[in-house]
This record gives sequence, structure tokens and C-alpha cells, in this order.
Amino acid sequence: MTAVEQYLKPEVIRQIARLDLRAQFIVKGFLQGLHASPFHGFSVEFSEHRKYTAGDNPDDIDWLVYAKTDKYYIKKFEAETNLTGYLVMDLSASMAYSHEQDLTKFEYSICLAAALCYLMIHQNDPVGLITFGERIVDSLAPKSKRQQIGNILSMLAKLKPRDKTNIGQSINQLAAMLKHSSLVMLFSDLLADPDEVIASLRRLRHGGHDVILFHVLDQAEVNFPFEGLVELHDPETNETLEVDADAYRAEYLEEIGSFRKQYERECRQIGIDYVPLDTSMQFDRALTGYLINRRNWG
Amino acid sequence: MGFLTPILLGGIALIAVPIALHLVMRRQPKQLEFPALQFVRKRQAANRRKFNLRHLLLLALRCALIAGLAFALARPTIKGSGLRGKEGAPLAVAVVLDNSVRMQYVFQNQTRQQQAKEMAGWLIGQLPEDSQVAVLDRSRAATGFVVDLGTAGSRVSNLAVENNPRPLDEAVREAIELVAEQEERRQEVFLFSDLSVESLNEEALQSIEETLAEAADVRLYLIDVGAQEVSNRALQPLELSATMLRPGQPLRIEVPAQVTGMTEAPLVEIYLLESEGKSVKRGQQIIELTDDGAGRAVFELGDLAVGTHQGMVKFAATDALASDNTRFFTVEVRQAAKVLLLGEQKSDALFLREALSPSLLSDRDDVRFECVTERFAKAGSLDFDEYDAVCVLDPPPLSEELWQSLIEYAEQGGGIGIFLGHRARLSNFNGEAAQRLLPGMLKRKSRHATYFKPQRLDHPALTGLRNFAEQIPWRLYPVLQYWEFSDLASDLAGDAYVVARYDNNKAALVERPVGRGRVMTLSTPVSDRLEIEDREPWNLLPTGPEPWPFVALSNLIVNYLAQSESQTVDFYAGETVNIRLAPRQQVSSFVLHQPGGESMRRSLPAGEDTIRISTTQQLGNYRVASGGENRQLDRGFSVNVLPAMSELTRVTPEVLAAALPSEQVKQASSMDDVEKYVDIGRTGHGLYPWAIMLVAIVWGAEHLLGNRFYREAS
Repeated sequence: MTAVEQYLKPEVIRQIARLDLRAQFIVKGFLQGLHASPFHGFSVEFSEHRKYTAGDNPDDIDWLVYAKTDKYYIKKFEAETNLTGYLVMDLSASMAYSHEQDLTKFEYSICLAAALCYLMIHQNDPVGLITFGERIVDSLAPKSKRQQIGNILSMLAKLKPRDKTNIGQSINQLAAMLKHSSLVMLFSDLLADPDEVIASLRRLRHGGHDVILFHVLDQAEVNFPFEGLVELHDPETNETLEVDADAYRAEYLEEIGSFRKQYERECRQIGIDYVPLDTSMQFDRALTGYLINRRNWG
Repeated sequence: MGFLTPILLGGIALIAVPIALHLVMRRQPKQLEFPALQFVRKRQAANRRKFNLRHLLLLALRCALIAGLAFALARPTIKGSGLRGKEGAPLAVAVVLDNSVRMQYVFQNQTRQQQAKEMAGWLIGQLPEDSQVAVLDRSRAATGFVVDLGTAGSRVSNLAVENNPRPLDEAVREAIELVAEQEERRQEVFLFSDLSVESLNEEALQSIEETLAEAADVRLYLIDVGAQEVSNRALQPLELSATMLRPGQPLRIEVPAQVTGMTEAPLVEIYLLESEGKSVKRGQQIIELTDDGAGRAVFELGDLAVGTHQGMVKFAATDALASDNTRFFTVEVRQAAKVLLLGEQKSDALFLREALSPSLLSDRDDVRFECVTERFAKAGSLDFDEYDAVCVLDPPPLSEELWQSLIEYAEQGGGIGIFLGHRARLSNFNGEAAQRLLPGMLKRKSRHATYFKPQRLDHPALTGLRNFAEQIPWRLYPVLQYWEFSDLASDLAGDAYVVARYDNNKAALVERPVGRGRVMTLSTPVSDRLEIEDREPWNLLPTGPEPWPFVALSNLIVNYLAQSESQTVDFYAGETVNIRLAPRQQVSSFVLHQPGGESMRRSLPAGEDTIRISTTQQLGNYRVASGGENRQLDRGFSVNVLPAMSELTRVTPEVLAAALPSEQVKQASSMDDVEKYVDIGRTGHGLYPWAIMLVAIVWGAEHLLGNRFYREAS
């Protein structure tokens, strides 16, 4: 593993304070690990130069060629598409949870979102940001300008997980809000009634949007590593339960397994990319998920 | 179930601590944030039940741990034979040792008695100081509880061999009764025995069982010190052709032997004790054994001089049990008894003389009687003291002097046989002098034909007939006339008694002791020939067909009168020996030479004609002598071991278990068993190791469960 690839590890990325650097390192690490360019075949790929004719956008004139040849040429791009991406962040209080992990679910999601933002802007795809709690809290319109990275990252950095969440309602709201077909990248722990969430996802998909569902859980939520008698407290509902962790582990794993299975199954049906993650996993897994999806678009 | 330290059982109360902790101080669970509670909630109820169950199980284990620890520390015991209600009471112990000579059997270089003594000594050493201990054995000495344990120990170690043991069950019963008297104490009897059939036969076991039934609190421990596999050569009692011999008469000794556990034919040797006390080997023989190990050797000694002879027969090789390897014997060789036959005519003595000393055998040395015939007319000039017996045949009225000299002769120890016949007259025979010899007043001559019919043959003069009693055809020898005594019941002299009667129950043979002598009166003569000129014969006893009963009867009577009947000279250890002195033998003191070489001088009260010796514990040949060089008295007898002391067959444990109550009787065969019984009897089976093991298991389970339960989140 090269030095750059180390940044795919959450425990390494945690040591970097600035979010923009985090995103940059993640993407660099990711790209380094890939032998072929992930951008090959994307709309951003340069195709040919052609002579400038009246009516062409002067912005497209390649001034470097002009400097060499004294003639106006413009860059020609093949199959140019506009993919508008939305990073949708779950602001529920449960996202702030971390049990002995370096990053909370929310921090993990932010890093991932930042990296994706970085990647998309890199390809001139417009990226927007939407956050939700019980409903949509804030949104940033998608743009493909470079400064959009700064906007999104600074906004992400300021985000704090709130108290309660209503994922279903928020997605419904989102679906109503989006006019054009977009790529919705949803970051959530999905700790809500799955039927409701799936119904809303179905609706979102029905609106012609492509959806990548990053299901971010804490490692503790996946493995249930507790032992002995524990009293568990839900930060969202303030509910507490006293359980014998050892005796309960198998049952819990079964429950969480079937929960994830349910999402995976439903998402496949609907045509949503479901990426189950936990906070101990490297970031490339999530990024690969995005890239596969993006290629399908191309 | 009992406890050595029951006070520690109070520790069980400490189980209140975990219960209190469980109720009051419930451990707080570790508090954790956990957003995915929705998955936990689903099965929380079932988990809760499981949790509570485990919690209770843990509590129960902790309580069990504390209770088990208290239980174990209280040293629980299971009583094997502990007496109910007498926990911790002092002991009353009777140690019974079989010290019979059979216990001298050597096994593993140790006699059974040594082994028993060793074990008993150890056992006594184990007893608490406040125990009452009695040591009993098979000797007849009375015993009770000894002063202290030391005395008991020395009593055991000083225990001697008993050649004449009393029945073992008698000692055991005495022991049981002795400890049963100590009602406040725990009562234990330890029997150290080789469990031989001789000592614990069916009868003995039954009597022990009955005694135990009456003493329900007594526990009997049977400690087997016998050898499991035995091999032994035993000589059975010797069979001598006679213990009283005439000069020249050979002595034939049959030696029956029994061999168990060995197949080799044993060699037996015979030794005769010479006058200087040296033994001289007179022969040896190999005994051929039958399949069951029995065999027999026969020795014949022919050249025994007049006097007492002693000797022994023994195996050339020794074996594990030495006491039955040797048998001792004593025989006496005496001169023929001198008998005076007095008749009116010498021919009157014909039948009796021929019966006592047949003329056909006159050239032989070993005749029993030397007969001298004289007429009454010459009787006055005879010295009766030369004769061992005087037979008066069909006497006529005798002179006062003759009666008197006969009385004096009898009082000095002489034997007189009076055979009344037709010559007797009431006037003379009922006179004062004659009546001092005759058993009673003559009444009349009876002419009722009858025959001799002795009923009981237990008189020494008739015991010789005992073996043929049924075969003697007395009817063939009718008695046609006899003298009837006036009234036997009242007129018979006070010390006279009827030895034999006729068929009509009239007295035939009557004995009357006179002084130290014996007088026997036959109420019919033995001198009548078959055909007499002027009268009928009084009987056909000597003249009937083949009159062998007469020969036998006359021999026995005269033998008795001469006091030369053979005496018993073969005894078993412990028996009292009676040695009757010869008539007219005066002994005031004598020396008893014992087999070990010691000699004891004893005195005999004046007028006593029998020497009684009761110190016959030692096996071997005894000699009684007096009169110094003259050997006025030189007699002997042999003391042998009881044949039962060779009986090594053992009672099986099954038989013992069946015969004795199992709740009162325990069997042991080793020190370990004894120790176990002692411990069990005293403190029961220790359950401490088991209890501690149980505690360890409970502790382990508690630890495991507790660890799972309260495991700290890593």
C-alpha cells in the first residue's frame, strides 16, 4: 500500500483536520489504487480540436493551441452529458454515534461526501448538497464550478447531527423538490421504519432519479461487540433497554442482518445501488460504488 | 450422617449474604449509547426472561457454594457402624484373640498368632485413652476390663499358646456380654481369628448370633488373620494295639496321617525314650497317600521290657504348623497278674484256670494271668499278699480265721472273687465275718431257671463286653440255680451295688469295695461240671457249647479284681490325668517330670490311691515317679494336641455373612480394613474430600457463569 492509499483508511483520514484536504487525500488515494483511469469513457473525455467558427462559445477556444499555431481551435468533447449529483446527508442524532471507532457515522459520511464532491467537480459534474432531519433542513444548488467544492465542503464541515429524523418524509420531500433526473447520493444509517423509507425511495426512483444509498452504520451496530449486562440508550428516542449482551448477540446479528438484507433486496428491485458500509471500512468501497453507477450513466 | 465439627454448619447461614446482595445491591448494568435499539427491542422480552433465569441460577450457585463450603468444613461423615445416639461416647472394647495352637501356623514368616497380636496391639494403640479395654483369649482364665491401655497392650503381647483351648464362641460371647454391660459406652468387640471351621462352626456361629441379638448395641469386627492357602501334614491320634502289655507282647502302632496342600509322600519316624532321657529312633516309614491326602504307617515294637515306655512318632520334615507333626505315646509293660484259685478240690478251679490261663498257651510269655490253685484246707497257710487276686470257688462254710485273713487281704487292696455255689450255708455266710465281704444276707437258693443278662456294660469289669453286647448268646448258658440275697434294696450292704443281673432281674454279680480292695460276688458258681453224680449243675456257663462268653467274663472280672486293667495314658492338653496306684502301693510323694524337662515334687495325702495331675498344658510325655532308685512308682502318660487343631479348613466369608447379622458384624482381613473399620466405627466415612470436590465444581460453575454474566465490556 502506497502512502497515498493509506488515506482510504478512516483512522488515517481522522488525523487530517481540514475537510477539503481529507477529500483530496481520499480521492488521490483512491485513484492511485486504480490502474486504469476511472474517467476513461466519461463525458469529460477530450475528443478532438476543430476550427473555431463564428457562433462557437469563445470560452471553448484552446489558447494553448492558439499560442502554438496562431489559429483558433476549440476543444471538442465526446458525448457530453450533464449529470447532476446531490449529496443528501442525514442529520439525525443517531448519526453522531461512534462506539470505539475513529469517526462517527456522520464524520464518515462527510468524508465520503466530500470525496465524491471532489470527484464530481473534477469531472465538471454539478454537485449539490441537501441535508435533512425530520424534513429537509438545508440545500445547496448544484454547480460544476470549482468553487462549488469549497462551498460544499465548508457547508459539510459546519453540519451537526440533530435530534430526530424522518427519513421517509425527507426523501419524499426531496423527490418533489428535484426537477431533473439527478444522481442522489443518500448518506444515512436508515434507523427508521424500513417500509416507509423504501416506499419513499421507490418514489424517488420513480421520479427518474438515480440513487446510490450509502447505508452507514457504526461497526458496533453491525457486530454488537458488547459483553455482560448492558443498558442501551437510544439518543433519538431516549429509550433505554437492559440486556444481557452475550446472550443477545446472536439474535441481534440476525436482526441487523435481515434488516440489511431487506434493504439490499428492495433496492435491487427498485434499481437503487445499495452500498452497506460501516465506519471501520475503507472509503474506496463507497467510491467504487459511485463510479460503477456513474459509468452506467456514461 | 454425622459431623466432626458440627458448629461450622452455622456457616450455612452466610448464604443470606448473596441473597441480600441479590435483593438489595443489584449490580448496575453498563450504560451505553446505542442508536440501533430497534433491533434489540424486538427480542428483549425473551432475553429478559433468560437473563433473570441466569441471574437466579447464579444466585443459587453462590448459595450452594457457601452452604457446600460450610458443609465440607464441618467434616461430614457417614457412619459405617457408629452406634446410634452414642456419638462421641467413650469406648468399651473387647479384643478377643484366638490363641489356640492352630494359630501357630506360619505364613509369611509369621505365626498367625504373632500376626493377630501385632494387629491387636496396633488397634489398642489407636484407642482413645478413656477407652475400657478387655483382652480375652481361649484360655479358661477369667478376664474383665484391664486398668489401662498399656496393660491391655502388654496382655496382648504376652499372650501364650493355648494347647487346650475353650470354644472360641465362648470367649466371643463372654466378650460381647462384657462390653454390653457398659451401656453408656460404645461397645465394640474385635475378634482376631483364622476363621477355621473348628472355631467358628455352625453351632458356634449360632450361639454368637444369639448373643449378639441380645446385645443390639455391640458391634463385632471379625478380623481374619488366617492364611488363604494352607498346606499341612498332620498326624492323627495314634492307634495303639494296647496301652498295657504283658512281657513279650509286641506293641503295634498305627499312625494315621492327613496331608493337605502337598503331594509329597511324608516320611515318619518313631522314637522311643530310653531311660536316660534320650530318644532312640526305632524305625521310619514313608506314608503312601491316597487321593484325599490320607495315609497310614504301621510300626511294631517287640522287645519292650517290663516298665513304662514312652516315645513319639513324628514327621521327618517340618511344615507350617509344627504342633501336629508329632504324636506322643505311653505304654506300660507289666508282669502277668498272679491269681489264687481256691476250691474245695483243685478240680473246682479247672474251668476258671483254663479261662484265665489256658494250658495250651502255657509256653507263651504274654499270658495275662499266672494262676495258682489251692484247696480251702490249705488256705490258712497261704500268704494272700503274693497274689493280685483271690478267687473263692463254691466255698463251703469257712473258718473265722480264713474269713478274717480274706478281709485283711481285701482291705490292703487285694481283689477277691466269691463264686457262691451249693456248698454255701446260710448260717456261716450270714455270719458277721462273712458279711464283711459278702454284699448282703443270703436268703435262699433259687431254682428258677434263668440266664445271665447284664444290662449296662459301663462297669469297668464289663466294659470289655461292650463291643459284643448284642452278639453274646447268654440264653445258651442257662443258670439253673443261684443264691438269692434277702432283700437287695435294704439288706445289701450300704456300699455294695449290683453290677449285672439275671434275666429275672435278680442280682447276679455284685461288687462291694472293702478297704482299698474290691470284692465281687457272683451268685452262681463257675465250677460245676455238666454231669455231677448226686445233683444237677447250677449253671451251664462254663460247660455250654463253646463257652467263650464265660472266658471273656471271667477274664474281665479277674482282671478287674487284680486291678490290672489298662488305664488311659493318652490325654489331650488340659485334661486332668488320674493315675491309679497299684493295690497295696504306698506313695506319699512323687515327682512329676514334665516334657520341657522341669520336675515338680508333689505329695499325696495318706490313703489316697489315685494321683491327679491337672497341669497338662504342655504337649509331650509326662513321667510320674517316686521311690528313688527302687522305682517304687514309675508311671507315665502322654499329652497330645487335639485333632481339631489340625483342622485348617476355613469358614467362607459368605457363610459368616449369612450366619451373623450384617448390621452388627463386619469382616476384615488386613490392617487397612481394621483401620477403616476403626475410623468408620469411630468417626464414619470421611466425606470431606467429596464435599470439597463438590464445592470446587460449584465454585467453578459459579465462576464461569458469573464471568459471562458480569464480563466487563472490553
